[in-house]
Amino acid sequence: MLHAENLSMRYFRKTGQANHFHAVKDVSLALRPGEVALLTGRSGSGKTTLLHMLAGLLTPTEGRVRLDDTDLYALPDAALSRLRNAKLGVIPQGRSAVDTLTVLENVLLPQQLRGEKGDAKGALRWLEALGIANLRDARPAELSGGELRRMAIARALAGNPEVVLADEPTGDLDDENTAAVLSLLRKAAVEEGKTVLLVTHDSEALPYGDRIYRMESGALSAQSEE
Amino acid sequence: MKRQSIPALAILLLAVIVSVGSQTFLGACVHGDGSFGACHWACRAMLGEGVLLAALSLLALAMKRERAGLYLAMLPASLLGLLTPGTLIALCKAPTMRCRMLTQPAMEILFGAMLLVSLVGWLLARKGEK
Amino acid sequence: MGTSHLPMKNLLRRPGRTAALVLLTALLAASVFGGSVVVGSLRSGLESLQARLGADIIVMPAEAESKVSFKNMLLQGTTGAFYMDASVLDEVRAAQGVEIAAPQTFLASLKADCCAIKVQIIGIDPDADFTVKPWIDESYSQDLGDMEVAVGCNVTAGVGETLKIYEQYTHVVAKLAETGTGLDTAVYCNMDTMKKLLAAAEAKGVSHKITSGSDVISAVYVKVKDGADVGRVNNWLNGHIRKVTAVRARSMFTDVSDSLAGISRAAWALIGAVWALALVILLVTFAMMIHERRREFAVLRLLGVSRRGLRGEILMETALCGLAGALVGVGVAALGVFPFTTLIETKLGLPYLTPAVGALLKLAGGTILATLLVELLAGTWAAARLSRTDPGTTLREGA
Repeated sequence: MLHAENLSMRYFRKTGQANHFHAVKDVSLALRPGEVALLTGRSGSGKTTLLHMLAGLLTPTEGRVRLDDTDLYALPDAALSRLRNAKLGVIPQGRSAVDTLTVLENVLLPQQLRGEKGDAKGALRWLEALGIANLRDARPAELSGGELRRMAIARALAGNPEVVLADEPTGDLDDENTAAVLSLLRKAAVEEGKTVLLVTHDSEALPYGDRIYRMESGALSAQSEE
Repeated sequence: MKRQSIPALAILLLAVIVSVGSQTFLGACVHGDGSFGACHWACRAMLGEGVLLAALSLLALAMKRERAGLYLAMLPASLLGLLTPGTLIALCKAPTMRCRMLTQPAMEILFGAMLLVSLVGWLLARKGEK
Repeated sequence: MGTSHLPMKNLLRRPGRTAALVLLTALLAASVFGGSVVVGSLRSGLESLQARLGADIIVMPAEAESKVSFKNMLLQGTTGAFYMDASVLDEVRAAQGVEIAAPQTFLASLKADCCAIKVQIIGIDPDADFTVKPWIDESYSQDLGDMEVAVGCNVTAGVGETLKIYEQYTHVVAKLAETGTGLDTAVYCNMDTMKKLLAAAEAKGVSHKITSGSDVISAVYVKVKDGADVGRVNNWLNGHIRKVTAVRARSMFTDVSDSLAGISRAAWALIGAVWALALVILLVTFAMMIHERRREFAVLRLLGVSRRGLRGEILMETALCGLAGALVGVGVAALGVFPFTTLIETKLGLPYLTPAVGALLKLAGGTILATLLVELLAGTWAAARLSRTDPGTTLREGA
């Protein structure tokens, strides 16, 4: 279970001490294994900042993030990095490919960073499921935005994480692929017991969520269960 | 395609340096009495070899399909150049003569470089054909 | 964690970027290695000159040009001939404070047939000589016999050959080790041979400017007794022997070591400027490269690479580039310097002797280490700048 406890993030602007920007205000939530949680809200409402804090990528100014009994930000950098590699699968917004590696090498990278050889067959199955198996040996520069996005999803899932945190995973995708990606993520939660959080403002995603959080100006404004 | 023409460009440049240099800044000296030594004729030979290599590299630039063969032809041509000063055509005996101090080492380096570059070019061109 | 394959892939799959870095590094390494080899060669040339000229005082004819032509003979291997009466030797030997006085007689050969150059012939007295004799001993264990000569390493003739000087046939019995000075183009014989050659030269119309009949010498090398004051002996010789000038040997090298110091300073200033410039370019290049790749690095952090691992990955790339560049640079500098040793010596007009292989290897090793160090410093600086930001912050920028 991934817990956020009173998470806040303030950015201090360089113009003066008093002038700070409260990106996330006092957010607490609990993400359960086997469930898909959706996080919605307007742009600039703090969704991505919250996701980065949950992913161990951004140190909150206040509050804690716990994965089961581990306080993420109490860990030293090396241990936090290991945990991120082993237990968290993050799909960030925008381009996230390592340009010098092929698509398949990118997908295998999290496993290889662990010192494993990497399960190429498993990786190919994910590429297959996302419809980009034919691009396995292509370099990221040759791929479209939607193909890159699907590569990032395959990479997050191929590492077999406990928690999947996806930031607008369907942003660059057409309807058909959107449906495929959403059901894939849903399957990961329901069939494999993963904890899944989707940041989205795609209304198509709503039926795939077990729990929906809404953010407004940095604070959670509503929570509903489907 | 572009990668395979880089060696040809390099050889063209080196061959021009050899051709011009053998007659000017890298050339042998003229004796006080205006007569020519063997080193003078060695420089003439290297002028010819430089022009030959320049021509081969121009052909390699122009004819993509013949490139591997042309690079292959450059190998013995640069070897001939490498062996010209001192081995095939004698230079002055005294080590302090210009042809021994300057012409010979400079030409050996230039022709040696062309030998290596044409080898690289041949390998690249062969790889490209497959 | 297993990031070891990443640096190599990153370098090989961006050949343009890698080549630029390697070339920049090669420039650094080439300037240092080339410069230090030249400076080192000048230094060992000076040492070898000092050894060959291991006298305290040199006495030569008083004419102004004799000192100049003596120096040119030593440094540039030009020929010189000046003479004084052989009786000077006895006067020098009689002087107080003189331990050994050894005569030398010079003769310039005529330019012979094709491609041969004029050579300096130097007659020595094997019993007294303490400068050239030990050098000849290194390659020839016997005394030079009648019409036998030893030749410097830049003289065309080899051992066993016959060298024709003024229609006289001499036999080459030894080829001497390189000194990097003008002495490498000279031919050495004993005084009896020299007398015959002088007579032959005179028969050919080359005059000695001295009334014939008496023996002539060109210079007397003096070693003073332990405890004697070189300056006073020198003054005494100048004051008491007519038509000669006594020169302290050290003043001969002062010019040489002055110009050596000048060249060293210029060389190091140039190397310093190249390094300062290259270091700035390197830092800017690294900063730009890291900035351009910061998203890629943030992604690596996201996938679980620790700060330390990321620093290791950047430093590994840097070290590989640095090593390749240093090797290329040292190789290029070696190709630019070693084949042209004779040319550099002639153009500089200074003693120039390439250091021994061991010393060269040390120089090469030092160059490679220094280059790697600078490269790693630049890499560390860039990596440190990078790890100050949370990957989350980087991922948000321009997503």
